[in-house]
Amino acid sequence: MGSVKLQARLLAVFLLLLGGGSIAYQLLVQNVPLSQDEKDPVWVVDAQVSFSAKANKPVKVRMFVPPLGEGYTTLNESFISNNYGVNVNVEKGNRQVTWSSRRAEGSQYLYYRLMLTPRYADAPENDPGPQFRPAPTLDGPDKLAADALLEPIRQHSADVETFISETIKRVNELENDNVQLLLGSDVSPENRANVIDLLLAVAHIPAEPVHTLRLAESQEQQPELWLRSFNGKKWLYFNPLNGQQGLPEDRLVWWSGPGPLLNIEGGKSADVSFSVHENEMSALQLAQSLRLKDVSSFIDFSLYELPLPAQQLYRILVMIPVGVMLVLFIRSLIGMETLGTFTPVLIALAFRETQVVWGVLLFTSITAIGLSVRSYLEHLKLQLLPRLSVVLTFVVIAMALISLLGYKLGMGSGLSVALFPMVILTMVIERTSIVWEERGGTQSLKVALGTLVAAIFCHLLMVWQPLVYFVFTFPGVLLCLAAIMVLMGHYRGYRLTELLRFRAMVDGDKR
Amino acid sequence: MFWSKTRKALRARGVMGINQRNGDYILRYNKRSLYPLVDDKIQTKQMALDAGIRVPHMYGTIATEQGISTLHRVVEQHRDFVIKPAQGAGGDGIMVIADRFEDYFRSASGRIITTEELEHHISGIISGIYSLGGHRDQALIEYRVRSTELFNRISFEGVPDIRIIVLKGYPVAAMLRLPTRQSQGKANLHQGAIGVGLDLASGVTLGGTWHNLKIERHPDTANPVAGLTVPDWQECLELAARCYDLTGLGYLGVDLVMDHEHGPMMLELNARPGLNIQIAMDDGLLRRCQIVEKQLEALKDETRPVAERVAFSKQQFAVAGPVAAQEE
Repeated sequence: MGSVKLQARLLAVFLLLLGGGSIAYQLLVQNVPLSQDEKDPVWVVDAQVSFSAKANKPVKVRMFVPPLGEGYTTLNESFISNNYGVNVNVEKGNRQVTWSSRRAEGSQYLYYRLMLTPRYADAPENDPGPQFRPAPTLDGPDKLAADALLEPIRQHSADVETFISETIKRVNELENDNVQLLLGSDVSPENRANVIDLLLAVAHIPAEPVHTLRLAESQEQQPELWLRSFNGKKWLYFNPLNGQQGLPEDRLVWWSGPGPLLNIEGGKSADVSFSVHENEMSALQLAQSLRLKDVSSFIDFSLYELPLPAQQLYRILVMIPVGVMLVLFIRSLIGMETLGTFTPVLIALAFRETQVVWGVLLFTSITAIGLSVRSYLEHLKLQLLPRLSVVLTFVVIAMALISLLGYKLGMGSGLSVALFPMVILTMVIERTSIVWEERGGTQSLKVALGTLVAAIFCHLLMVWQPLVYFVFTFPGVLLCLAAIMVLMGHYRGYRLTELLRFRAMVDGDKR
Repeated sequence: MFWSKTRKALRARGVMGINQRNGDYILRYNKRSLYPLVDDKIQTKQMALDAGIRVPHMYGTIATEQGISTLHRVVEQHRDFVIKPAQGAGGDGIMVIADRFEDYFRSASGRIITTEELEHHISGIISGIYSLGGHRDQALIEYRVRSTELFNRISFEGVPDIRIIVLKGYPVAAMLRLPTRQSQGKANLHQGAIGVGLDLASGVTLGGTWHNLKIERHPDTANPVAGLTVPDWQECLELAARCYDLTGLGYLGVDLVMDHEHGPMMLELNARPGLNIQIAMDDGLLRRCQIVEKQLEALKDETRPVAERVAFSKQQFAVAGPVAAQEE
């Protein structure tokens, strides 16, 4: 017996681990949303390129666009232009779009739109970068100034990381003579970045500028310049203006390298303006739209793969163990009596079609009619089988009348007594009458009431949308339920009703 | 908190709950395949007869509608008899005929019954009205047990019976079940009969239970229920203990009746005996079962003779507490 108990416990633990593990995997690795209404931000980035084309000249506009799939999932990318050919090519980790046209005239507008979301994104890849670069040759005052600046930096730093942040700090001390000499009169962020780059180059430290966009609701935004360097393991990002380290979460790398964002041939007074909008989309919709784009998502190998009608069916079926579990609790822990284990669950399923209030009314009234017919027939001393058959016939007649009445009164739900609830009703009446025969009227009323209460609770639980979504999305829940059921099989404690039943034995102690 | 306090108190008294009874006793000691032996009274009776256990004499059985016409031949010789469904539960469908004259019968409660009514009743039994799950059944016609004078004082109509719970052949608990007006002569507690605890050592009645309450007097006759001694108590216990060897069911409820002429007789067996006996005995079944289980463990499950098992039970479960010291 002891070993069986242990075995059951091990089985329960195994099932629990399996189910819990699959839920954890889906939650943590696949990023499956925990609830149906979990919303995710969807960023819509618009870049508008405007320029005026020179007459009778071919136009060629080149613009960097973000490399896809770095910390964000791309939902949609579009290039909108009239009469322009569009071509995208990848070069040294950057992507560049080329709009080209044989001829264009007047002011021209080209649009680029990108929709991104942080969910379901792969971790950003780490393309290794160079760790060494040759020093440029400097001479004259530049060399002196650079050496003078580098000397304390070297002393105050321990590694590449601290060296770079120290350099940034120094270069941003604008009153320093050496810095002033290197910067000249231009103190723009670009130039500061250039000077920092120069100093790092003298120290053989590779660095490259990256241009980033902030993903925050904004109308006019210019890319922000950052510096990054590869330390052998990962890219280190630095803000060249304040030495801030690490790229904030909301930054999107647009392009890297010193090149300008826009390159235009056959046009003039070009300008790019960025605007960013935040939209919301339910995580589930997101996964579904990703799936349409053949991007792998958690939907693969889940119940969402089934065709829609089958999905609908399984949404109901996966809830049956939940209902059974509730009945198990009601019977084994509380001790309320019901007609069999599954009847309440079946009635609960029937309530789906009739709605609860209407269903309860319908069930009680029809069961009452059935039982009163039955008791009258008993008075006639009919045999069991003929009697049950007569009862069932009257149940059908009663249901038909109720449906007809409901229809005449304009209540559609009267018609919802479909085949399925009908079968269940007949079964309930048969079982109730058997209990009546065997154990008397009071007992059968008690059992019928218990069944009804259990069925109502089961129904409410089984149509509770967050739970339906949860069980349907994480089928591992079913294994956990099975584990609890296994454990319940060895539950030996008192039922709540037994505490009442045996109360006399305890009260005796007090006297 | 009422719940946890009551729960603790019940645990301390060793009260057995339904979950525990089902899981640790019925499921463990009673093989499912043996159930038909006790669910069918005809089989039980046959088996008991073969083993020499005294049972009410069976006058005949009726299994088919055609067989109903043989009723008059079966009961020809007898003025009084009992008709019951072979697979009935809870005492339903039992008809006790106390007397007959010409074509009429008189029930134990004095109602006049025509032959047609009787035949209709048998037809109902055969079609399975009273059987578990509504299966076809047989009607059993047997000797009518008449209670001893002693019990008549504390019962209303009907025949009191003695329920003894036997674990692996060791009697662990016993109660006297007394019919009341409410139970309509039936001795089933859930129908309103009274359960009166019995001292296993002496067969003396203790306090009673009625609808889960403790009582001291019979609600119909107002006679106190305590202090009576069941006659032939030793024989009753041995009879019950032997039923284990007979059926192989380890957790068994044995129902005995006390006939005024023939003494104790085995009436029926129950593989799922109820738990109300605990209230009647005012003692926990679990506590007693564990004592027996400990003994079984000590004996390494070796089967001891009936007399020895009964002696162990009498000594362990005496109301005055175990009496071992006094004997040695």
